[in-house]
Amino acid sequence: MNAAAHAVTIVMIEDDEGHARLIEKNLQRAGVYNEVRHFTDGTSALEYLIGKNRPEHRPTLVLLDLNLPDMSGFDILVKLKADPQLRPAPVIVLTTTDDEREVRRCYELGCNVYITKPVNYDTFAQAVRQLGLFLAVIQVPPPP
Amino acid sequence: MPIDKALFSRLTLLLIGIGFAALLAAGAGLVWQVETTRNYASAVSSAQEVRVTTLRALSLLQDAEIGQRGFLLTGEESYLAPYHAAVEALPQAMARLAKLVLEDGGRPGPIAELRELATAKLAELARTIALQRAGERDQALAITRSADGRSSMDTLREMVAGVEARSAMRLAARSAGLEANGRALLIGAALAFVLMLAVTVGSAILAVRYTRELEQAQAEVTAANAGLEARVAERTAALAAVNEEVQRFAYIVSHDLRAPLVNVMGFTAELEAAVAPLSALLAAAEAEAPGLVTAEARAAVAEDLPEAIGFIRSSTERMDRLINAILRLSREGRRALRPEPVALDRLFEGIAASLRHQLDAAGASLEIAPGLPTIRSDRLALEQLFGNLIDNAVKYLDPARPGRITILARRLAGRVRIEVADNGRGIDPRDHARVFELFRRSGRQDQPGEGIGLAHVRALARRLGGEVTLESAPGAGSRFQVILPLEPPPMPTPSPEESPR
Repeated sequence: MNAAAHAVTIVMIEDDEGHARLIEKNLQRAGVYNEVRHFTDGTSALEYLIGKNRPEHRPTLVLLDLNLPDMSGFDILVKLKADPQLRPAPVIVLTTTDDEREVRRCYELGCNVYITKPVNYDTFAQAVRQLGLFLAVIQVPPPP
Repeated sequence: MPIDKALFSRLTLLLIGIGFAALLAAGAGLVWQVETTRNYASAVSSAQEVRVTTLRALSLLQDAEIGQRGFLLTGEESYLAPYHAAVEALPQAMARLAKLVLEDGGRPGPIAELRELATAKLAELARTIALQRAGERDQALAITRSADGRSSMDTLREMVAGVEARSAMRLAARSAGLEANGRALLIGAALAFVLMLAVTVGSAILAVRYTRELEQAQAEVTAANAGLEARVAERTAALAAVNEEVQRFAYIVSHDLRAPLVNVMGFTAELEAAVAPLSALLAAAEAEAPGLVTAEARAAVAEDLPEAIGFIRSSTERMDRLINAILRLSREGRRALRPEPVALDRLFEGIAASLRHQLDAAGASLEIAPGLPTIRSDRLALEQLFGNLIDNAVKYLDPARPGRITILARRLAGRVRIEVADNGRGIDPRDHARVFELFRRSGRQDQPGEGIGLAHVRALARRLGGEVTLESAPGAGSRFQVILPLEPPPMPTPSPEESPR
């Protein structure tokens, strides 16, 4: 785990508390102990990320669910990628949808990784753990 | 008044009848007039002939008298030549005159009288000539001088004039008749002309009115047709929209069902993981303080928890498979079809090759009849459709006999009927409708499956513009008939921008 990865804050936008808990558990099992900020809706997440009182610049990684109660994950993705500070932040879409058109659209909008939540828990845990490994090796660029 | 077809036919027929009758009457009048004119012409000539013949008869009588007078004066026989000639010609002339007058419509009485007088005159002349020859000249002259002779000739002249006058009168009457006929005919022809003109104008008006009404009716039919087409298009669009809605619904529902399922599965796994430390704790407690461990606690950790977890897991896995099946069907329904020429024989060879392993394992044969046609359709959909049918045939063979699966096709008008028949275990007729429903199966449940294949087959067949039917009896095999169009039907394709939520 490099220093940059340590400093990274993981912003998890996930309306399902159970999913969020499972993701957290499996990230910890994978040895990822970064700070995780969990938001259950898009509005509060956007308020935190690009609102007036946004925290001082620090490396951020976004875990994004597409199906949110108040807005579509696509809209959040668009807003994140339109923000000059957050544009370099990696966005990992983690959702139940596996329609190839949706996947393509996410990549077109600038998401870095698209992961389908598998119902099979072993696969799910494995996917999240691999995500942890991924977090350990990628360099999250500090915002300008 | 609107003119219907029967009324129009009757009216037209009536007008044509009137026109024809007028024409016929005019024609008949003309024929009659021609005949009258011809009669008149012959009457003129016969009147002429009567006149000529009368004059000739008179002149013959005069000739006879002249001859007699000459002979009486001179006593020379040579002066009698005109007399002889006249006496010889007169009977014939008189006969001819009688005949002509009768033919001309005259009365026989005056002619008979004339003949009698002429005969008497000739007899008188003959007597004087005989007296002259006998030398009795004075006596002969006395007879001639007497009024009898002169008045006889005068009477003859008068009678001839009478005959002539009557003939002329008859002619004049005929001429007047002819003129009257001509006038009547002219009036009749004019009337017929007016009538025909009226009929023609009437028919023309009728025809124009009828044609206009027909045109109007045709325009109405055309408008109705256009409206019908628009309505069909509307309904088709509405159906497509409903179909799209159902597909979206299935897609969204299955996605939303998956989300809680992830939790159930995930936390079940967490529970399972928690059982391990609990078991260890129980083992330790049993070793160190057996009094603390109750039978219930032991059963709960060793049996109840694993059993419950096992049931939860198998149920959620099954639910996941079902949801995946709905998702797959929904995704297939949303896929845009790409029609291309597909050679069915090669398609079936491909399916047979991919199922070779299963076929060999079941000891079954697959026969593809030669001469399968090439159709324009979506290749992937066809592969899935027939792949499912043949896969089912292989799965549900009758172990009592070697499996035999046959594929044959028959061309119908604009369509093709493809038959996938097997000699497998067959399907109870009560289940023939059920087997095409989602998650429904029939017969012994000894093969893996979720009851999706035939539902998928029917959905595919319908999407390709066709239909699938089943004939089967338990123990006698099954025969699936898929009817597909040779050309793909025009189909509204879902817009590529459409996506769930």
